[in-house]
Formats: sequence, structure tokens, C-alpha cells
Amino acid sequence: MSGSFYFVIVGHHDNPIFEMEFLPPGKVESKDDHRHLNQFIAHAALDLVDENMWLSNLFCDVLFSLITVHMRFIMLHDVRQEDGIKNFFTDVYELYIKFAMNPFYELNTPIRSTAFERKVQFLGKKHLLS
Amino acid sequence: MAQCVQSVQEFIQDSFVPLVAALCSEEAERLTRRNNLSFAELVRPFCRLTSEVHMRDPNNQLHIIKNLKIAVNNIITHPPQPGAIRKLLHDVVSVSQPAEGLVANVITAGDYDLNISATTPWFESYRECFLQSMPASDHEFLNHYVACMLVVSSSEPDPVEQFLKLSQEQHRIQHSNEYSYPKWFIPNTLKYYVLLHDVSTGEEQRADSIYEEMKQRYGTQGCYLLKINSRVSNRGADEQIPDPWSQYLQKNTIQNQDSYEDYTVSNKNTDHLISDGTDTEIKDGLSNNFKTHPLQLDHPSGSLDSTDYMKASTSLQDSKKSNSGTPHGACLTLTDHDRIRQFIQEFTFRGLLPHIEKTIRQLNDQLISRKGLSRSLFFATKKWFSGSKVPEKSINELKNTSGLLYPPEAPELQIRKMADLCFLVQHYELAYSCYHTAKKDFLNDQAMLYAAGALEMAAVSAFLQPGAPRPYPAHYMETAIQTYRDICKNMVLAERCVLLSAEILKSQSKYSEAAALLIRLTSEDSDLRSALLLEQAAHCFINMKSPMVRKFAFHMILAGHRFSKAGQKKHALRCYCQAMQVYKGKGWSLAEDHINFTIGRQSFTLRQLDNAVSAFRHILINDSKQPPAQQGAFLREYLYVYKNATQLSPDGPLPQLPLPYINSSATRVFFGHDRRPAEGEKQAATHVSLDQEYDSESSQQWKELEEQIVAVINKGTVPSNFQPTQFCLNRYSDNSKFPLAVIEEPITVEVSFRNPLKVPLLLTDLSLLWKFQPKDFSAKHDGETKEQGTCDEDMVGTEAIAEFLINSEETKVARLKLFPHQTGELHILGVVYNLGSVQGAVSLDGIDPSIGLQTGKFVSNGLSVRGRQDLEIQGPRLNNTKEEKTSIKYGPDRRLDPIITEEMPLLEVFFINFPTGLLCGEIRKAYVEFVNVSKCPLTALKVVSKHPEFFTFGGNTAALTPLSPSASENCSAYKTVVTDPTSVRTALLSSASSADFGVGMGGSPEVIQVPLPDAVLLPGASVQLPMWLRGPDEEGVHEINFLFYYESIKKHSKMCHRVLRHTAVICTSRSLHVRATVCRSNALGDEEGRGDNMLLFVDVENINTSETGVKEFHIVQVSSNSKHWKLQKSINISGDKDTKLASRERAKLCFKAVRCKNSEENYTFADIVFGNEQIISSASPCADFFFQSLSSEFKRTQVQSHAHASQRAMKQSFDETVRLIQRCSEVDLNIVVLWKAYVVEDSKQLILEGQHHVALNTVGKEAFSFPQKQELPETVLLKFFRPENTPVPARPTPEQLSNLIKTSLHYPESFNHSFHQKSLCLVPVTLLLSNCSQAVVDVMIDLRHKPTSSEALEIHGSFTWLGQTQYKLQLKGQEVYSLQLKACFVHTGVYNLGTPRVFAKLVDQVTLFETSQQNSMPALIIINNI
Repeated sequence: MSGSFYFVIVGHHDNPIFEMEFLPPGKVESKDDHRHLNQFIAHAALDLVDENMWLSNLFCDVLFSLITVHMRFIMLHDVRQEDGIKNFFTDVYELYIKFAMNPFYELNTPIRSTAFERKVQFLGKKHLLS
Repeated sequence: MAQCVQSVQEFIQDSFVPLVAALCSEEAERLTRRNNLSFAELVRPFCRLTSEVHMRDPNNQLHIIKNLKIAVNNIITHPPQPGAIRKLLHDVVSVSQPAEGLVANVITAGDYDLNISATTPWFESYRECFLQSMPASDHEFLNHYVACMLVVSSSEPDPVEQFLKLSQEQHRIQHSNEYSYPKWFIPNTLKYYVLLHDVSTGEEQRADSIYEEMKQRYGTQGCYLLKINSRVSNRGADEQIPDPWSQYLQKNTIQNQDSYEDYTVSNKNTDHLISDGTDTEIKDGLSNNFKTHPLQLDHPSGSLDSTDYMKASTSLQDSKKSNSGTPHGACLTLTDHDRIRQFIQEFTFRGLLPHIEKTIRQLNDQLISRKGLSRSLFFATKKWFSGSKVPEKSINELKNTSGLLYPPEAPELQIRKMADLCFLVQHYELAYSCYHTAKKDFLNDQAMLYAAGALEMAAVSAFLQPGAPRPYPAHYMETAIQTYRDICKNMVLAERCVLLSAEILKSQSKYSEAAALLIRLTSEDSDLRSALLLEQAAHCFINMKSPMVRKFAFHMILAGHRFSKAGQKKHALRCYCQAMQVYKGKGWSLAEDHINFTIGRQSFTLRQLDNAVSAFRHILINDSKQPPAQQGAFLREYLYVYKNATQLSPDGPLPQLPLPYINSSATRVFFGHDRRPAEGEKQAATHVSLDQEYDSESSQQWKELEEQIVAVINKGTVPSNFQPTQFCLNRYSDNSKFPLAVIEEPITVEVSFRNPLKVPLLLTDLSLLWKFQPKDFSAKHDGETKEQGTCDEDMVGTEAIAEFLINSEETKVARLKLFPHQTGELHILGVVYNLGSVQGAVSLDGIDPSIGLQTGKFVSNGLSVRGRQDLEIQGPRLNNTKEEKTSIKYGPDRRLDPIITEEMPLLEVFFINFPTGLLCGEIRKAYVEFVNVSKCPLTALKVVSKHPEFFTFGGNTAALTPLSPSASENCSAYKTVVTDPTSVRTALLSSASSADFGVGMGGSPEVIQVPLPDAVLLPGASVQLPMWLRGPDEEGVHEINFLFYYESIKKHSKMCHRVLRHTAVICTSRSLHVRATVCRSNALGDEEGRGDNMLLFVDVENINTSETGVKEFHIVQVSSNSKHWKLQKSINISGDKDTKLASRERAKLCFKAVRCKNSEENYTFADIVFGNEQIISSASPCADFFFQSLSSEFKRTQVQSHAHASQRAMKQSFDETVRLIQRCSEVDLNIVVLWKAYVVEDSKQLILEGQHHVALNTVGKEAFSFPQKQELPETVLLKFFRPENTPVPARPTPEQLSNLIKTSLHYPESFNHSFHQKSLCLVPVTLLLSNCSQAVVDVMIDLRHKPTSSEALEIHGSFTWLGQTQYKLQLKGQEVYSLQLKACFVHTGVYNLGTPRVFAKLVDQVTLFETSQQNSMPALIIINNI
């Protein structure tokens, strides 16, 4: 049993710098019509993130985690899978920190690295969809 | 929640006012109708009391009522229909739009600056209208009628009778079971009798008398005489009377509509109210049951035909207009207004309030009596048994009891009734305690609806209590809302509750709670309500202490979506636009696209086409993550909207199109015709074309070449205004000056388009947009400057591309041409085209769109709009001055602003038989054809190249030398003469001057004049000229650039010359390698007795590897050219006629050279022929290449000598000496080795010819045909100091000195002497001294030399020189002196005679140099004894 997930990293200016969708193996393509909804919800959730910034990580319908340097990782999910998401966030955080150290990457700009994408995809498969 | 006009208190007070019913007789109704008003409408503007009212509460306390308002309504005997209410609300909202010039507040939150209108008047209107139109319910009495006005006109025949009738009617409505509606507060409703008197028509006495009668019957406090219509209609025009009705009547439409409906009474039973709510829900549920996602995009195709709605809304607008257009109160004067106001006041003071006071008192008494008996007892026992507090039961447990109903006059309701009355007269303390009690009762009875009502009102009255003794019980409200919604399923009541609570919470700055409430009430059943509530929730978020901008935006989007579903297009658009401010430019592309799309579509339906266009434009120009199908839909919609927009203003300027992208900096401009393709053997000059990539190195080379040639033309200096010709302007070229284009020659502009979409774009009728300013440059004054925006074929012809398809995400260049027909200034502004989409090509990449392209079917969907895009090119950033460095400034880029000049000649060059591969040093003959394709004669044709030694057009002597017949047979490149075999090995002499070959006269040898027959090439004429090529000495691929320069016969101010470029690519392979040395011959004198001769050794090696199929090389001739020397004969030991060299073979040739007498100018050519043909080396092309190699050699040495120039200057005096001495060892002999190569190619034997040059400068030094590459050290250490000047040798090297004087001893090799006869043997020895230099030299000869070393002593210790042992001589230049010496021997043996030491010095110098060189070589003599 695994639902679909939408993961986004949001930069300082509320700009998404990385987006990815994880779909269960059965579902090939999410309905294109609704893809923008994920963005709407994730964006609106930023206010909640800011509100709970100094509280502990909060798990609710929209789960998010607050990371240093005000980069925000937000995960939208339709099934409860707290451990998986937690592990996923930890790993992606590590991945992101490594990526951000790349001197050729300007912070806060969209990540356009296929390697990063591949790794996140892998982590997603490992933690979320398994 | 947005700010409201009313305060919370005002709002709540106005929401709950005492209701008064009005029952009018027909005649009375007719009277008021004259003013276009019903009676209720007539009094409405005057229903608020301006003065304070006092009343006594049940405890006889004085209570002050401020600002009381009452509502007078006509009696309507059936409840308002939900549909009608919905329509009314819809209209109210859609009419109320934000004011045009409303200044929005700017809210700054974090990074966001948002423009948000602070007020939402549509919401307030909605709220007011909603509360007013609420149907009366059984569980509360707030909107039950407290009193009833019976209105009768005085003009009726019997008003008193009429009053009775009306009174009965009222009684019937209230008490018979026939009508369940309207609701009445208490059974004995206050009846107030109003006599309406029309002043203008009625008799005043009659009215007064009737009023008197009424007073007696009903008491003074129960009746009133109202006089109206005192205004005479015909004089009303000039009198301005305020119209207080206009602001009320808009909201009053429900009454109007209902009154127009049938007067039939609905047969619904008493529980109608409850079922009503569910009814609504079911109906709405059906209508909204589309199972659509809240934010789903409508299907794009079905979107644009919303004209139905348009019509509907316009008709609505019309009806509104007609409604508001008719004036109200036309027959009323200001006195009448005052009378009405007076009437209401009187009614309230005298009639209503005493009635209410009395009722409250009665109810209070009842309650006290009941409480005394049962309730208090009940509570007491309960207290005893269950402790202090009544356990509150959870809502869920109480669910089943929601249907519990009390009969209208049930005692449980009395307290509620009293509470409501207290509330209506603003006695909130009492109301609160009553509500509180009622709440407890109802909860105990588990009458949830009643309990919820009580809770709601308890909360409100608690809030309204002056001084606020207790905090606002928000949980009461919570419970009430939950109960209404979940248990009672009554959304209307829940909504009222939410509206009240949200307003209260807002006033307490509890925005998040308010927002939560508002959001919780949004549901599928009513889009309008959901939309409004969501919008208010959004406003709550933004008004919070730390504004939640993103939630605001999200809820605005949701509200907008709901508005659009509810058909409120304008509100929807406004919401989306406000939300857009948050999402804009952040990178949430899908969300942004969605918003833009909605904005675009809503704007379109509202006919705001410009907004629609710009919204759609945003979707298309941003990086889109949408799938192709969606993009295709967006594009189509955009085009459709655009088409509509442009149709509205067909005469307007062409719109700017957003697609496809233009990479303007990649724009290239090319001047001139396209390159003509090669025709057969003819090979056109490569020139420049747009297909070539830009190469900065080569362009720099071309620039240098042009500078060089211009410098030669202008006698050594480049003019300051010189501008190198640029055929192709691009981002790398220097675009700071206006480029020059020639009239009638095309200008090609290459525009780089990029399609960012995943669907192909089709551009049709694509052409350039320009502006032209005609000017006559020769006339020296500007002609009238006309500006043409559009195409004028007379001036500039424009070529259009009919169809230009750009596939998805493709970058493609379009080449657009202009043909200028007049001189002037052209400005290329941009491109103009029809943008269209391709039908059906959206599907898959596999479908080749080019198939359809030919048929032109793509245009079939017809959706294309014409527009333009400007080409604006930013120049390079300036970085020269300090100001430019510190600020960011950009220079101009004039790529697209060419100046059209007068006509210039245009040259085309073709090469015939031009080889691609050559052996090193190979000579090949080719032809060049020059064609003047213009209408203008050209002259001063020159060519410049970095490699002038590569080619020649033949020298001036070419015409003089006769063509040899054999040369033409063999197709030899050389001019040859058949020689007779006897002359072999002796040189054949000829001479030529370097001037004949255009070399050596100074200037730059790179510039070569092309020998045109008349120096002019007429229009259309063509000339073929021979051209010889010599393969470069270096192996490999050579790119050789030719720059042809020519001028017009007429001189222009703008363009002085033109150039043509050609790049030849030659691949050379190795052939021969020649090394040569020259050394002084020791032989004294030649046949002619001359003292100077040399031996020349030529070492020829075949370094060709056989891969090219070269079988063997034959050396056919060796020629020398020198000013002072010549080859005399070949000293060939083997006696072969010519030397054959197979691969990797080597041969050595030996020649004798002698000094020749010659003038300084001419070179002497001496040919030594090995074959039977003499190649005339002094003629073209042999001599040409020789001289070119010479000059390049000269250049090389010059460069080297320049390096030492400074040091030379220091030792000027000394230098003289050195020079002189050095010159002794210098020769200037140049050798040309001519060869033939036998090549087998395709089983055919070819004979190739070639020549190699060796320049011999120094005696004894080896020279090469091609300078060996110097092995550079692998790593060069970085040096941080200047290299010290290598000190100039103070003395000439011994080697050089030894060459000053040549000495040789002449003696018999063996000498027989009989020592028996004579003990002393005397041998005559001749010492020959020859001065090699041109100067006079003092020579000292010392014979006394005794070698110091013992070893040497042993060898020749025993001979001595006799006679004078020291000589001092003076030798003139080139003089030979022979000195007779005698050596004396005493023993037999072998002796070395080489002991004399010769010292030499130049006459005018002091220093003495020893020429010790000769001593090293032993001069042995054998003395024999006979």
C-alpha cells in the first residue's frame, strides 16, 4: 500500500527550487489537471511552516520539515508514512547540503542537476514507495 | 475579514431589529404607489430613531435605548423561496463591485508587497441582504412580527370599516391555521391604525374627522394620521428633493419580487422551516454534483462560448437600471419626509415600546411564577443529586433529539421570547441571563435547534453587554454552529451564526479563529457563500499580526474559483488577480499558469481583452512545465483571444507577439549576395557566408590583411577613419559603427528563433520590419527625411518567408532579405509575421511535421494572428573610462542600422585547376578568373596574403620571355629551352633584376598587384590570368588567405574600397630536403686567374614517404642566383647525367662557384642543367618564387638583427671593424634546386615539378632548404628579471678573423737532398697571402715562432727559416701576395712547415689580430736523403 507523494524544496523567497512527484508503481501518470494543486497546497503550507518554525517538526496532512538556512522541505502525501518520510527528509537533507556546497551552484536557484534528481528519485523509491 | 463600514455593535444591532408588519388597504397602497413606493418602502428611510428612548425593565430600572431601528415590512404570507433568495443574493453581490478609482492598501509582509482593497462592500451587502431575507424560524422570535400597522386611506368611502376589515384580516393571518407565515411574536399583536391622507387630492376635514373617530375608538396611542403627497406634481421639476430611498431600495428587491408573485399560500405544514433547509441542500447538491475538483480547469475548448451568460448578465443590468431609473417619492415634499419621520417616532414611542415593555413584564411575571414552582425545585433537586454542575452532554449523543419541537406557546419558549424582546430593545444583560437560562433548559430537553439558537444569542448578547462583564463565549458559538450545521442541517442558520461570530472575533483581532470559522462553513451547496466566506478568510489571514500571505493567496484562489463557479466573473477575476501578486515570479509555474489562464479566460468573458492577452502571454513566455496538450490548448486560446483583441482595433499598431523567443544578440547581418556555387572546374572564392562559424582568429587575420593593404595604398599609413570591411555582423564583430551596404545588393538578416513550447509554432508571411530614410550622399546635403514604417517596395524590397515552422523546443534561424533600391539610412526594426499553431502536430514526435509543411496544410486551423517583434540588440558593456567601469553602461549596437551607399563594383573570383594537394616545393600552374559583376568599373585590383611565397602571377618579364614549345607540350609550369648536351655541367648565365618581380623594393611584399590587362575591369568583363603556386615548404595542411582589394573608379565618400576573401586549403606532403654548404676553395686562382672561388656542396635527400605514390625524384637543374657569385661548373664524380632519388635516398652534388663581376642591382642566374632542357631560372615562375623566398628570408634575418639593434648602437665604432671582418666570411649565394617527381597515380605516370631554395650566407655554415625546427626545451623556467644584455663580443671571433686573410704554403711535397754532399738542405717555400676583405689590411708575418710545448719541439725542432723572418705588408682589398721563403733542413725526416704566424689588422685600427687558424693544419714536407 503506497500513496502518491509530492516533494518540494522551497527557497528563501518562497520559490520552489526542486520539485518531484512520487507515484506508486501502478499509477503511471498523475492527472495533469491536478498537478498545480500540489503547488498551491505546498505554497500555502509555507505559512504553517513559518508559524511552527520554532516548534518541533509537525506531522499532519501536509507534512513538512524545517531545515536550516530557511530552505523548506515540504512533502504532500495522501497516506500516513511518518517513518518513511522522516528518513526521506534526512537523506534528502544530506543530499541537498552536499549539492549546495558545489561552488557552481548558486543558492536559491532551481536545481537542474540530473544526478540530484536521480538520487532523490532513488531515495523516494527507497523510503516512500517501498 | 475585510474592514466594514459599520462597527460590530452597529452591525449586530441592525441585524436584529423589531419587525413591524404593515397591512394596507388597496386604496392606501394606491396612494403610496403614486410615489412609486409601497408603504413599507415609504417609511423605510425613516426607521431609525434619532433620539434616545427610555423604557423600564421588569425590575423597574430605567433602560436607555440608543439609535433604535425598526423594520416595517409588508405582510407576505408565504416564506421566501430559497431560489429567489439565492438569486437576490447573487444579484446583490454581482452589482456591488469595487470602485474604479479605489486606492488599495499596500500590505508589506516579508518579501511581499501586496495591493489589496481593504473593504469588501459586496460582502457587506450580501450579509445585510442575507440577514434581512432570512426566513422566520420557530425556535427563535427575533424576526417575528412584534406589531402590525393597519394602513387605510382617508379617501376611502368608509375608512373605519376598512380598519375593521384589516384588523380581521390580520387576526386571520395570525391565528387561523391557514397561514403558517409570517410568524408573530405573541398572540395579541399590537395593532396600530394609520390613516393615510393624500394632501393633494383628499379633503382635509374629512381626514381629521375620521382621525377623531379613530382616536376615540383605538385611543390616541393606537392610531395616527399621516399626511403625504402634498406636492403638486407639475411644479416638482425645479425643486431638488433628496431621494433617501435610492440606497434602500436596491436591497429591497426581495419584497418586490415576492409581492409580484402569486398570492397563493403554500400548503406546507408547520415543520416547513426545518425541511426547508434540507430542501435547499438537496437541490443545490444536485446542481453542484459534478464531482469536479474545486480547482479544476474547465475544459479549454468549451470555455469561450459564454455568451449566454453575457446576455443574461446584461439583461440583469438593464433591469437594474430601469429599477433605479424611476424617481421615488415624486409627490413628497420635505415636510412630508418630516411627517413620516414623526410618524415612525410616534409609533415607536407611543405604540411599540410600551407594548414591548408590557410584554416583557408579562413574560417576566410568568417566568418568575414558573421558576418559583417547578424550575427552582427541579434545579435544587438536581443540584443535590448530581453536584454542582450540570454535566454537558456531547453533541453527538444529542443527535437524535434534533427534531424535538415545542408548540408555539410552550412555556419553555417563553423565556426565549423574553430574551429576544430584551435583545431587540438592547437590554443585553437581561437578554443574556434569559438566553443563558433558556440554553440550559433546552439542553436539558435536548432540543438542539432551540439550544443552538439560545447559545448563539447568548454569545452575541454577552458580547454586546456594555462594559463587557464577561469574555465573549466563543465556544457557545462553536457549539451553535456545529449544531446548526451537523445536527439540524440548517446551513442558513449556521451561516448567520458564522457571520456574527466572525465579525465579533474580527473585532477582537482573533483573525485565525475567524478564518477557521469561515473556512469551516464553505461547502459544496452554495458556491456564492463559499466564495464570499473564503475571501473573508483570506482577508483574515492577511490582517493577522504576522500576515499569512501565502494562505491569503491560497484562499483567494479558492474564493476566485468559487466565484467563477457561482457565475460572479468579475469577483472571480479580482480574486485571482489579488492572489497573483503572491505567486508572481516565484517559480510555481503550474500554479502561476493556472492563475494566468483563469485570469485570461475571465478577462476574456468580461471583454477585458488586453488583460486576457497579457495573462495568456504570461503563460506562454514563461518556462512551462505543462504537458504538450495543455500548451497547445493555451496557445490556441491565446491566439483566439488575440485575434479578438486585434479585431477590435484593426487600425492600431501591430501588437507585440511573445512567441517565439528571439535571441536578438544572435542576430547576424550579412551584406552582399550569396556565394555562387562552384561550376565544374571553376571554384569560386570562398568569401564569407552566413554558414560559416565566427572565428575570432581568422577575422583578426582578415582585418590585419586589410589594414596592410590599405596602408600600402595610402603610402604606409592606415587612415584614421579606416573601418575594416565586415561582411557578416554578429555578436563578436565590432558593431559600434554604422555598417555600409551597397545599393541593389541584398542585406540578409539572420534571426534566431526559439520555440519554448512543446508544440510546434508556425510562422507565416515572415518578413522584416524596417524604417528607411532616403539620403543622397553624393549631393552632400540630406534629402528630405521620410520615415516609412511599412514596406515601400520602391525604396527597399522585402523578401517574405511564406511558411516557417519551428518544432517544439527548437531553435531555428530564419534568413530574411532586404533589397535596398535607394541610398539612405536603413533601420531594421524587427520582424513581422503571422503566428499560428499547427493542428494535430501536438501528438507525437514521430510524426514528421515536414510532410505536411509542403502541402501547406498547417494553416488550415486558421488561428493565426499578425504581430511583430522588435529586434533590440544590446551593445557590449563599456569598460574604458572610470565612469564606465563603476557603472553599467552599454555601447551602441548598430548591426541593424546599415547605411546604403551608392553603387560599387563587385568582383567575383574563380579559380581554375586549383590543386588541393601539393608536394612541398611543387610548382603548379592554375588560372584565376576575375569577373566584374556590377555595373561599375573596378580598378586597383590587388591581392594580399600572409603567404606571398605561395603564389605568383608572374613577373614583368613574363611577357618578354618566349614560350618554349616543349613547355606547352609537357604542360610544364616552367619556361624551358632545349639545351645541347655538351653544355652539361657548365653554367648557363642570365640575369634579372629583382625589381622586375616586384620584390625587394621595400614596402610589404605581401601586397601583390594583380596584372590586369588595362588595370581596369569593365562591368561584366572577365579576365583569366595564370597563377603559379608553389607548395609550402612545411608538410601538412595549410590554410592560405587571399584578400582581393579593389576600388571603384569613382571615389565615394562612404566606401573607398571593397575586398573579397578567399581561403585556399592546400595539403602538402614531404618531398626533398636540401642542405648546402659552401667553403673556400684552397686552390689559388681559376682559369681566369681570379683568386676567389668556392666549393658548394649540395646534399639532397628524398624525405618523401611513398604513400603519395611518388616513385622517384630527379634533380634536373641546380641554379644559383646571386649578385656576386655564380655557379661555374658541376664537379660530379659519378658522371651521371641527372640524379635519381628513390624514397629515403640521398645524394651529394658538388659545384664550383666563382665570383662574378656584376652590377649591384642585377642578380646573376647560373643554371647547371642535368637533363636536356634548361629551365630558365630567371623567368617566371622560377624567379618569382626565388625572389619571394629571398624576401621572406630577408625578413626573417631582419627580425633577428632587430633584436640586437640596441646593442649595436652602443658599440658603434667597434662595430665597423667587426662588420668588415664579418663580411669576409659572408657570401650571398642562393641555390635553387629544380626537380621532377615521377608520380604514379591511378596507373598513370605524372611528372611533377618543383624547386627548393637554399640561401647561403656564411662560409662554412650549413644552410637548409627548410629551416629545421628548433627543439624547444620541454619546460621553460619562468624568469622574473630581465635577461642581462649579452655582451657584444669585444673582438671578432677567431673564426671570423681567420677568414680575413687566407694563407697557403706552396712547396714540394717531398724533397730529395743529398745530405752527404751538402749538409744543409734549402727548400724554397711560397707563402700566399690573400686578403678576403674589401678593406686594406696590414699583415705581419712572424717566422721565428718557436712552439713552446716540448712535444712540438720534438717534431720540428730541427728546421729553420732562412732569410728575413719577420715581414710587414699591406694588402689591398682582394689582393693576393706571394712571399718567397726558404726553409733550411739538416736531417732527413718529415717536417711541419706550418709554423709561420700571420697577424693582421685593418689599417686604421690599432688592435692586432692573429690569424692562427691556418696553423692548425700541418703542412708536412718529407725530406729524403739520396
